[in-house]
Amino acid sequence: MSDFVQALAADPQSFRDANYDAGFRLSDAEREQVQLSALRKRFAELRDRLPVLRKLADEQGIDRIDAIDDVVPLLFPHTVYKSYPLSFLERGQFDRLTRWLQNMTTTDLSRVDVSGVTTIDDWIGALAAGSDLLPIHTFGTSGKLSIIPRTKAQTIITPTINAHCIRDFDGYRTGPDILVDHMPLISPSYRYGASAIARGMNLMADIYAAGDALFLYPEAYFSADVASLAGRLRAAEARGEQGQIALSPALLARRDEFAKREADRPHDMDRFFAQASERYAGRDVFLFAVWPILFEWAEEGLKRGLKGIFGKNSILTTGGGSKGKLLPPDYKERIFEFLGFSRHFEFFGMSELMANAPRCSEGHFHFPPVVITFVLDPETGEPLPRTGRQTGRLALMDLLPDSYWGGLVSGDEVTMAGFDEPCGCGRKGPYLESTIRRFSEAQGGDDKINCAGAPEAHDRAMDYILERSA
Amino acid sequence: MAYTVPLILRGEIVDEGGISFGGRRGGASFTAPDVVDHLDRLALSAPSRMADLYDLSFEDIVAYLDRLGTLLDPHENRYLQEAFELSRLTSGLSDPILRYHYGLIPDYFRAETVRDLAERLVGIDYLEGWVEQPAGRDPRTKLRIRAMGARAVHIIAGNVPVVGVTTVIRNAVTRSDAIVKTPSNDPLTTAAIARTMIDMAPDHPITRHVSVAYWKGGDQRIEAHLYDPRRIEKIVAWGGFAGIKHVTQYLQPGLDLITLDPKHSGTIIGPEAFADEATLQAVARRLAVDIGALNQEGCVNARVVYVQSGTDEAGIARAERLGELTFAALQALPDHLSTPHKAFDPELKAELDALSFVEEEYRLFGGRRNEGAIIVSRSDAPVDFARMLACRVANIVPVDAIETAVRSVNSYTQTIGIYPESLKETLRDRLAFQGAQRLVSLGGAATLMQTPSPQDGIEPLRRMVKWITDESADAGMMEAQAIREPEAEPVAA
Repeated sequence: MSDFVQALAADPQSFRDANYDAGFRLSDAEREQVQLSALRKRFAELRDRLPVLRKLADEQGIDRIDAIDDVVPLLFPHTVYKSYPLSFLERGQFDRLTRWLQNMTTTDLSRVDVSGVTTIDDWIGALAAGSDLLPIHTFGTSGKLSIIPRTKAQTIITPTINAHCIRDFDGYRTGPDILVDHMPLISPSYRYGASAIARGMNLMADIYAAGDALFLYPEAYFSADVASLAGRLRAAEARGEQGQIALSPALLARRDEFAKREADRPHDMDRFFAQASERYAGRDVFLFAVWPILFEWAEEGLKRGLKGIFGKNSILTTGGGSKGKLLPPDYKERIFEFLGFSRHFEFFGMSELMANAPRCSEGHFHFPPVVITFVLDPETGEPLPRTGRQTGRLALMDLLPDSYWGGLVSGDEVTMAGFDEPCGCGRKGPYLESTIRRFSEAQGGDDKINCAGAPEAHDRAMDYILERSA
Repeated sequence: MAYTVPLILRGEIVDEGGISFGGRRGGASFTAPDVVDHLDRLALSAPSRMADLYDLSFEDIVAYLDRLGTLLDPHENRYLQEAFELSRLTSGLSDPILRYHYGLIPDYFRAETVRDLAERLVGIDYLEGWVEQPAGRDPRTKLRIRAMGARAVHIIAGNVPVVGVTTVIRNAVTRSDAIVKTPSNDPLTTAAIARTMIDMAPDHPITRHVSVAYWKGGDQRIEAHLYDPRRIEKIVAWGGFAGIKHVTQYLQPGLDLITLDPKHSGTIIGPEAFADEATLQAVARRLAVDIGALNQEGCVNARVVYVQSGTDEAGIARAERLGELTFAALQALPDHLSTPHKAFDPELKAELDALSFVEEEYRLFGGRRNEGAIIVSRSDAPVDFARMLACRVANIVPVDAIETAVRSVNSYTQTIGIYPESLKETLRDRLAFQGAQRLVSLGGAATLMQTPSPQDGIEPLRRMVKWITDESADAGMMEAQAIREPEAEPVAA
């Protein structure tokens, strides 16, 4: 048994500093050994310290994990991190929201002071001030944001692993190590915020770019409250009930701040392009953005006569799909024409996960072994056999978190393969085919705002606040 | 099994192949002719071709429908049997409920039922001829009014089979011309009725003024052509917000949209429910019917249930007791009314599963598999997923004041089941201001529809017809208007 396997089995977080590619070279037996022993470790550590996990385990009568599939009844529904009632927010009951979150994490929240807290943004700030949490939020379905109780110590894991993915993508240390050889970070987005992306960007600006970063909105904060309103608006619009949305006084009180940001927006865009082409022209940069945002940005840039602005060895990381946005067939060409480079890495992931799945040359998504993937029968919730090609509901057990439970049943329908044969790209282990879609979409509707639609929804929500309070 | 959905064009059946469509739920698919190939025959070419309907007396129409009803026994009628088999796969209703509703179809067509409907919802004399109105201010003038049929497209819903049945009957009694666009979750029931009409009387004007077609809602190739005032005068649209919103892009002067919008319904229960255990048991049974009938597939079904139990500890306990009894009553409902849902919404299931992570806020009865559930809020706020409630899942919300319940009502509220009766009388005006459209005794939300009445706050039949006036006046009086008489007083208008 290799050191790699032994280390991973003993502590899945050792993957943070490991050879990323080695994760895809494990034999089936090795992978199972790593995953089973890490799973047992997490279950033993968390079962009696997380009230929600203990309750579920008690109900299911599960005391021990003998096989990987034993954990399936203990995977949380994907709604768990937004299971709080919205009335907590509407009625300003942030103490109860804190108590709710305490059920999900072993991090001590007893010193969190919510006096004077009136918004989600404030509450997230209070958690960071009074505990070891640096929570992240999602973009929210129907206005409810999931709150993931990630700790300050854990935040470094995701960008580190992503950097190693780039470094080891075609073999150990065959690519650039951005943690060592820094590159300026370019982001057509917000500088601050607690969304998974905003938190990641902040950290990447430090550890990838050593502080040399260019943001489209360098002063702006991606507000959780506005994201929540955006979700509620979108859901209400889909039902024709837009007039029913009530704006909280706390949100209205921030109207001036939003108005200023709105007024600055065209100026921000000008400044962003000016700096991108002056300060960073011809330089190798690191760029992180979803396709639709990149496309908008490229169109805007090409319109201004800008093209080929960055160095040939720049790196783009992307993901989030293009759902909800219609892009022309040649969108990638247009983007690369503007950027001046085409080296890119695409990921499938979720805010809830610490490790994402890169897309390989075959178009498949490969999760590293620290995330166990399951395909469940959509009707019964039972795991489908790990053979052949299976279509069903994706479930995941993220083995990295040590203070909250990483087991989750997603809302995505996927087809998984790679159980019997390695992928055409050479990676071993199960992978997802590219046909990933939401179950709600399969049933004829989709009110989820994914990363791709989030900034636009955010902007529209701000417009709404400004209109309502004008 | 692959189903073929015919295109029925005014008495002619087109059923050669065409396009394949996936049905909802069960994944059953069907093929239907591409309506685009038959567009020229879909709409009535000239409005004058409505004339044949006026050679019929109202009693001829009644006799036609009565005879048709006798041929629509689902035990005998093979077209209905086929529609039933497909619905078993695509409908949200389970077999016993579907069977019960198919069994009711002949009753809708009976002579006395049709006469009653026409008399109450339009007035047979107005359908039959020009009705002279009481004399107005000037006795030299006369006003006569007649309700005339119109050319209409009916975009019908497929949640219950009766929608297609009602459409055929409404079309006949109003002497209208119908193009029925069927839904993917029930593309065959209306077609089955139309085929039976063709077998019975292929050349009869009523048969020749019904077309039944399936196309995918939003197909511009068809809709841009058809939704045009030169071809139709009215669109009667049932169904979802997105579908109706889509139709509105074709609206223009000359095209009247009658919407039977998406609605949701609720319940208000006063403190009298808690008088004693026997009363509470009875209330729970009646509430279970409002929730469970039609497997909660109707817009009439109860979803959020406001109960004036109080929100202190004792109040919450009272609400929970009601929840427990209601869940038990839901499980005991007769099969023809309600059964466990055969396609429980997985997203709703995920929401129910997540409730166990917030136990202090909600008490859940049931919800383990597909048996349905009662969620009792432990504060006066409904669950955040209230708009997803379906598949026999309802939310009991305890309140201190009935005002909280009244304020929750808006123009998207269709039915409100109320207990006790006295509370209905106390609240009915206020609920109507708020937007509610139908107030019923608790237990009658999905079942009390025997007497023909307005629907969703409008009178669809009175809107399906065109109200034509015939005004006459004394000839001398008309001519006098043209003659200048400087000294005369102006003629009263």
